[in-house]
Amino acid sequence: MKGFNIFLYEWKHFIRSPFKVVALLLFVLAGVYGLHNGASLYNEQMANLEKIKERSEQDRQQYISYYEEGKKGPDNRPWIDMTTPFWSIWYSNTYHFKTPSPAMVYSIGQAEQYGFYKRVTFRASPYDPDMTNEIANPERLQTGTLDFAFALVFLLPLLLLILLYNIKGMETEQGFMPLIEVQTASKSNWLLSRVTFYGALVFGVIMLLLAYGAMLTGVFALASQAFGQMVLLALFYLLFWLVIYSVILVKGKSILGNTLTMVGVWLLFAFIIPATVHQWVSIEKPTNLMTDFIDATRDERIELYEQSDSVIMAQLKAMFPEIKNSPVAQDSIKKKVAMSESTTALFNELMKKSIAKVEEEHQERNTLVASTFWFNPVSFFQNRFNYVAQTHFANYQEYRAQIQQLIDQQIKVLVQDVWNGVEVDKDRYLEYGDKIANID
Amino acid sequence: MWQIIKNEWQFLGRSRMLLGISFAFLLILVLAVFLGSQQKQKQSEAYQTAQKHLRQQWENIDAMNPHSAAHYGTYVFKPTSLLSSLDEGVNSITGNVLRVEGHVQNEIVHSEASQMQAISKFGKLKSSLLLQYIVPLLLIFLAFHSVSSEKQSGRLKLLVLQGAKPFQLVLAKTLSVWVYGIALLAVVVLVYGLMNLQYLNGEVLGRTAFFFLSYALYYFVVSGLTVFFSARWQNATVALTSMLGIWILWTVFLPNMLMSSVEKWHPLPSRNEFQAAMKEDRSKGIDGHNPSDERGKALEKATLAKYGVDSISQLEINFDGLRMQADEEYGNQVWDKHFGNLREVLGKQKQTYQIGGLLNPFISLQNASMGFTGSDNLHHQAFLVQVEHYRRGFIKTLNDEHAFGGSKTGDWGWKANNDFFKSVPDYQYQPAALATVLPNYIYDLGLLFFWAIGISFFLFFGAKKMSIA
Repeated sequence: MKGFNIFLYEWKHFIRSPFKVVALLLFVLAGVYGLHNGASLYNEQMANLEKIKERSEQDRQQYISYYEEGKKGPDNRPWIDMTTPFWSIWYSNTYHFKTPSPAMVYSIGQAEQYGFYKRVTFRASPYDPDMTNEIANPERLQTGTLDFAFALVFLLPLLLLILLYNIKGMETEQGFMPLIEVQTASKSNWLLSRVTFYGALVFGVIMLLLAYGAMLTGVFALASQAFGQMVLLALFYLLFWLVIYSVILVKGKSILGNTLTMVGVWLLFAFIIPATVHQWVSIEKPTNLMTDFIDATRDERIELYEQSDSVIMAQLKAMFPEIKNSPVAQDSIKKKVAMSESTTALFNELMKKSIAKVEEEHQERNTLVASTFWFNPVSFFQNRFNYVAQTHFANYQEYRAQIQQLIDQQIKVLVQDVWNGVEVDKDRYLEYGDKIANID
Repeated sequence: MWQIIKNEWQFLGRSRMLLGISFAFLLILVLAVFLGSQQKQKQSEAYQTAQKHLRQQWENIDAMNPHSAAHYGTYVFKPTSLLSSLDEGVNSITGNVLRVEGHVQNEIVHSEASQMQAISKFGKLKSSLLLQYIVPLLLIFLAFHSVSSEKQSGRLKLLVLQGAKPFQLVLAKTLSVWVYGIALLAVVVLVYGLMNLQYLNGEVLGRTAFFFLSYALYYFVVSGLTVFFSARWQNATVALTSMLGIWILWTVFLPNMLMSSVEKWHPLPSRNEFQAAMKEDRSKGIDGHNPSDERGKALEKATLAKYGVDSISQLEINFDGLRMQADEEYGNQVWDKHFGNLREVLGKQKQTYQIGGLLNPFISLQNASMGFTGSDNLHHQAFLVQVEHYRRGFIKTLNDEHAFGGSKTGDWGWKANNDFFKSVPDYQYQPAALATVLPNYIYDLGLLFFWAIGISFFLFFGAKKMSIA
């Protein structure tokens, strides 16, 4: 009952403090604004994907019409022969998308740093220039978008600071503490109840905001698990700050001292520690200028193509033993063309080796970052929110891996069909659509 | 007034807490400058190694057809500017590697931010982070009770009775806090100067001077506004919470909201739309690789007429090289149109954002800081334009060699020798001169002056209405 009374008095105190009410309203405003920013990016990406699918389908219909009209390809490109697996697969118009999760409404994360659609060909790579970010103002990217996660990670501690800063300090300064001790018996319980009140109030507001965000992009219907994870993460984050601020309030003696300490702790966790870690990681693991990757795409590629036919053939046979007894392998003229069209498989292996090095370095960098999470909680939570919203580095790494898998599949089909001397007709072309556009 | 400032400093000097905070903060500032310089040095080394490696590969080309060499191409890495160790600006967001090749103007790729998970939303521990976010907070903490404490202790009445004018008093309080900020700023600039003594020149000093001026003006605004609140309100806590509110609004809320809005007011095309529009325009020109292309045939006709021969086999030159160059020149018009449009939109976004400085001096400070350290988007765009000019010259040299180097039309097996490849100049980065970029930041500086003057008026009229009791 005492606890309930404290809650009731605290509610009265809260609604009579315009500064606190305005702070809460500003937080709600920032949260709603952030949710709309997230929803806007989600809708924008979905609309973009729809446009690409539409255009891709138009092109595909055009290619199908070549088969129906008995043409080998476009009139102004006489060297194209779509009855061969090489050109038919090239024009299979396979796209792979990183379809945004509806949970993007909560955290834009690193979504604006990477491409989310890619035309996959047997000559492609997950590190092609078209895998870079959408066209955006770099100064805006640097400033960062005010998304819901930003409000939660950076503004929530400030809101709590404003709501809690004068608890106990004001009573101490005005000389009410002895009276409170007499009335409540336990000073700690009294303080804890007051902090709990604000914790519950803020958690309620966060729940409402999360639910509002869910309605903007259909999270409940399409990614309900993400909602639950966001609620839990937000709760843990809230508790983290409540514990820190409670300790400051218990130990502190004045409003000013408490406020300064709280601001200091916020600055330390939100600015100083992440910025120092960021700087340290950049010195330890400087940006990869991708020279290994460049070497693979140019000099090593040239060396590969300059190898003798027998060496190339031996490498191809090692990769695809089935081509040894294939019909084309027995025909010396066709064999030459087939070899030339299949060398892309060897190039793909070369690229994969150089990519493995790049990704190993990325992994080392990320491990370094993760090793700081025990004293860098803000970055930890920020990344967890991104992960739930599928806008984390790892989500885009997974997308790259899927692209590589599709490239491998495409190459496998290409080599098999080239060496089996397949003549592509409309049905085979349509089959390609299923065989190489979906991950096995 | 000087006596008040002196007293104020003596008073501040007696506070062990302030001395402790100042000492710790100075250490962090020096550490930030040191780490910034370390990172810059490491990046420069990596950049030079990569650039040297690529150049070596180019110079080692023994013999190659010039057009094959145009496809082989080269790469330019974005160099770091000396002052970026103070303010990194957009450098970690933009890419670092730009492929220079025939037929296409590529986009810069492989940014630092794309190579790891998110760490700091506000960037690395650069001097700018501390100078923009933390020093103003320190100034607020120093100033919020500077006048109210005098009121509460009754000293204010005493000072006025002794002949001090209220305006002199609030101005002196402002200046004494402002000087603290200036001292921290000066330490940063001095340490930075000492660490980079060998690179200092007129350009760097000029840029650093404007960098210093921008921060000095902003600190005056923050100090003055806090003292104004301290003078206007009886309660120091109200002055502090008001200023904290303004700090949050200025540094966290408004820049984010305004920047997002600006991108909506002046929208950029999606990559897909951008590429499709360029492809469409590009398809209307000459196709350098397609001899049956109609526009190519028209060029052939004109060339035959120019050389007074009947067929390309009679030409002493290689027509393929001419067709490739014509293809390039058409392509250049297309890139100029589309990339030019992008730059125009980005320019409008920048200008609109700069106007935001009217509401928020932090925006002007950020713009000026990035601008004077050469790490904003305008400098980035200037770098991209510079590389594109290099690409055009580079490809033209290769096409000219293809056309006039001694081969005949259709002779794709002909190869230029190593001497030729060695003679093709490497890309040399020319940093933008302060004099040429200064007009871009006059508006930001002007607004900071406007705010500083405005705050002085506030202090003047605020002091008149200040209750002495």
